[in-house]
Amino acid sequence: MIGKIVAISDINVSIFADYPQEVKIGDILYAETQSKIYRFEIVEIKNNTITTIPFSSVIGLKRGLSVYPLKKGLGIEYSKEILGRVFNSYGELIDGTVINIPNERSIYNRHLTIADINVNNEILWTGIKVIDFFSPLSKGFKMGLLGGAGVGKTVLIKELINNIYKNLNSNAIFVGVGERSREGKELYDEMKESDLLDKISIVFGQMGDNPVSRSKAIYSGLTLAEYLRDEQHQDVLLFIDNIYRFVQAKSEISTELKRVPVENGYPTTMASDVSEVEERINSTDDGSITSFQAIYVPADDLNDEAVQTILSHMDGQIVLDRKVAEKGLYPAINIFRTTSKLIDIDKIGKEHYDLVSSVLKYLTRYEELEEIIAVLGIDELSSEDKNIFYRSRKLRNYFTQPMFVAENYTNIPGKFVKINDVLEDVKNILSGTYDNIDESKFLYIGTVKEIL
Amino acid sequence: MEKETAEQLFEEDYVDQMLDDKIKKINYHHNVYDVGKVIQVKDFIIYANGLENVSFYEKVNIDNKAIGYVMKMESNCVVIAVLKQTDKISIGDSVYQSNEEYMGEFSTDALGRIIDIFGEDKLTNKKYQNIIKLKVEEDNTPIMERTPVKRPLFTGIAGIDLIYPIGRGQRQLIIGDKKTGKTQLCLDTIVNQRGQNIICIYVAIGKTKKEVKEIYYELLKRNAMSYTIIITAFYDELAPVITLTPYYALSVARFYMLQGYDVLVCIDDLKRHADAYREISLISMKSPGRDAYPADIFYFHSRLLEKGCQYQNGASITILPVVETTGGDITDYISTNIISITDGQIVLSSKNFQKGERPAIDYGLSVSRLGGAVQEAEMKKLGATVRQKLLSYLETRDVYELANVDEMSKELQDKIFEGKKILDNLIQYKFSPLSKQEIINKFVFLGEKKDG
Repeated sequence: MIGKIVAISDINVSIFADYPQEVKIGDILYAETQSKIYRFEIVEIKNNTITTIPFSSVIGLKRGLSVYPLKKGLGIEYSKEILGRVFNSYGELIDGTVINIPNERSIYNRHLTIADINVNNEILWTGIKVIDFFSPLSKGFKMGLLGGAGVGKTVLIKELINNIYKNLNSNAIFVGVGERSREGKELYDEMKESDLLDKISIVFGQMGDNPVSRSKAIYSGLTLAEYLRDEQHQDVLLFIDNIYRFVQAKSEISTELKRVPVENGYPTTMASDVSEVEERINSTDDGSITSFQAIYVPADDLNDEAVQTILSHMDGQIVLDRKVAEKGLYPAINIFRTTSKLIDIDKIGKEHYDLVSSVLKYLTRYEELEEIIAVLGIDELSSEDKNIFYRSRKLRNYFTQPMFVAENYTNIPGKFVKINDVLEDVKNILSGTYDNIDESKFLYIGTVKEIL
Repeated sequence: MEKETAEQLFEEDYVDQMLDDKIKKINYHHNVYDVGKVIQVKDFIIYANGLENVSFYEKVNIDNKAIGYVMKMESNCVVIAVLKQTDKISIGDSVYQSNEEYMGEFSTDALGRIIDIFGEDKLTNKKYQNIIKLKVEEDNTPIMERTPVKRPLFTGIAGIDLIYPIGRGQRQLIIGDKKTGKTQLCLDTIVNQRGQNIICIYVAIGKTKKEVKEIYYELLKRNAMSYTIIITAFYDELAPVITLTPYYALSVARFYMLQGYDVLVCIDDLKRHADAYREISLISMKSPGRDAYPADIFYFHSRLLEKGCQYQNGASITILPVVETTGGDITDYISTNIISITDGQIVLSSKNFQKGERPAIDYGLSVSRLGGAVQEAEMKKLGATVRQKLLSYLETRDVYELANVDEMSKELQDKIFEGKKILDNLIQYKFSPLSKQEIINKFVFLGEKKDG
């Protein structure tokens, strides 16, 4: 026995310990009533008082109950069999299966040194026109996915899983953090239907779970990805939906622990919490972890402290925009704010680089023209501006794309478009080759060849 | 057996008597283990000492003046949230424990009536006879027990059923300013469920008694009460009652779902619900975060709305939460939180309302994340066409607002004419539901023109 429970609130259980030297932070304790076993993780120790966070609801828990040590810290069982399986945040299987002859590792603390990290990685094409063109990525890349609520973030993630798997044959880990259970289950069902399930492992700590669960899912998922990278030497894809929810869960816990918050109620340890996770996601000589991390933006405020902290770890970002979505243009990517470290003349070549600059120039002018037109009408524009106006609208429409995973919503079959085709089409639109084709024909196509 | 001596008899009687007295006394007054004394009163939050045996979330009685539940236990006191109070609570009042978790009370007789969390019929102010005790908060439906949401729930409103459809098990937010018809949308939907074997639950949170009574008569007049329960926490109820009521309503929904019924729950509205929770949090000294809401405000709503699901037994809980905004701003903290939880939102705009569009749906801002997945083939195909044409028209309308229609190209004129016609056809007054076939007939002109 370690001690007895002295105080209880939703996600904070204090224990008075006779021998506090026998436990350390991160250890797991348990208490038992007639109907239920309660588990806790130690987060603070002060003299004889141990502060813990419970794994599940504490309804029915009493003061004075004895608490016993369970094991040394959270671990996850693994072997080659993890693929196709679904875990909860605490590394337990929830799909009714078991892993035979498992190994086990702790879910915490696997730091990489600068010598371990590999930075020479090849470009990874996604087959999604607007991403490959404006924001290409490479193996080991960390891509942030930003966007307010309801603008199609999750569809984009599913499309990426679909396309990159088909292209690279790498296994993927999906970590659901604080997102919808319905979507989580649908992802699982869709993966199963499309025979992709045995290529992916899933960890769920969804939004109906308590903050402790939501804050742990990411560690369990990372541990599985590290296993594939280090022991199976794979180029692993790691999808985190949604990394912001991790910070959010941490701040809920922090408030309950009565720690002093910073701006907007975020925990003081936010920066270190985020870097603890992000610094584990890297490429080594054994393999790579390429990650896509959805970042929820609270109250549509991009300057939010947590969002900025997470962004400082990203190599690129894809910004989804409600204004684009309102126009019915999907993927609703705001190309002005979508960036990648790879947009560099040395990395993608002169042709691609120049085209990106020209397109951005055209579309910037288009935005200005839209305002002028609203007042004066199109006829008042110079012929050069008219060309820019009409070609930009074609470009804007061209960068929409039918998605494989949205087929049952759009009723249009998905398209995988090669980068060379994109460059060719963009060049032709800019030079006026397609001036006589109606702009609405460019909506939801793959390449322009389809409408010629 | 030896005959007992008088002395022995006396002693035994005396001891028995003494024990009986003591037990009686203990039973009546209890002791420090099951009884406590009020030491602080802070609005509806009571601090009591003693009550050593009480468990978390247990129901307690405060000197027959009030009932409440244990919301927190500290080493030297217990924090109690008061739910119902008949008299002023004073320092030193005894607090009795009940040895049972706080449960909501419900009766199946409440179908067609107005009930509250205490199992009282609000129309007669009498408690129901055959009370069923329901956990206020049931465990979250496990992710692996959910099945895909794909059966439609018809609202009878063309703009919704066609363009942003709702499926059974979906959570669709209804959001808009005061007086834009949010409640009306709920009532229209409920009325349209007649004869569908659906149980409807209308949850009135922080509404005035007058409003609730009017809603009751509106539904009664249209024969909708026979399958509807109104669950209410009035405006003047204590904040803990307001916060618990939606959870209780979903326990009732779950009760019916487990019996195989599809259930529709309208929660009107969650902004008031969030404010009541903020009230409790600040009074109980939780540190405030963004907009002074506590850090766990997201979890407070996410775990509530995650109870909506398509269950593996074939039944479902559909939730239509309502959020009231100010100044048409749907990007404030609570709104974006809830938007990021629900499966879509129907945005009502006061500008459209003033223009005479009924329902005043802002088609550009509204979203359904499930979309065509919950529609039958014919509606799905027509819906995709209508939605695309309408959004495209709305965009064009904004750009060319000041241009002269007569000078436009024929194509553009057609587009604007067609868009206007779509918008006109979507106008529909309250309590005039359209069947699936009627909706299809209204928009059949879109298909005809193409063929011709």
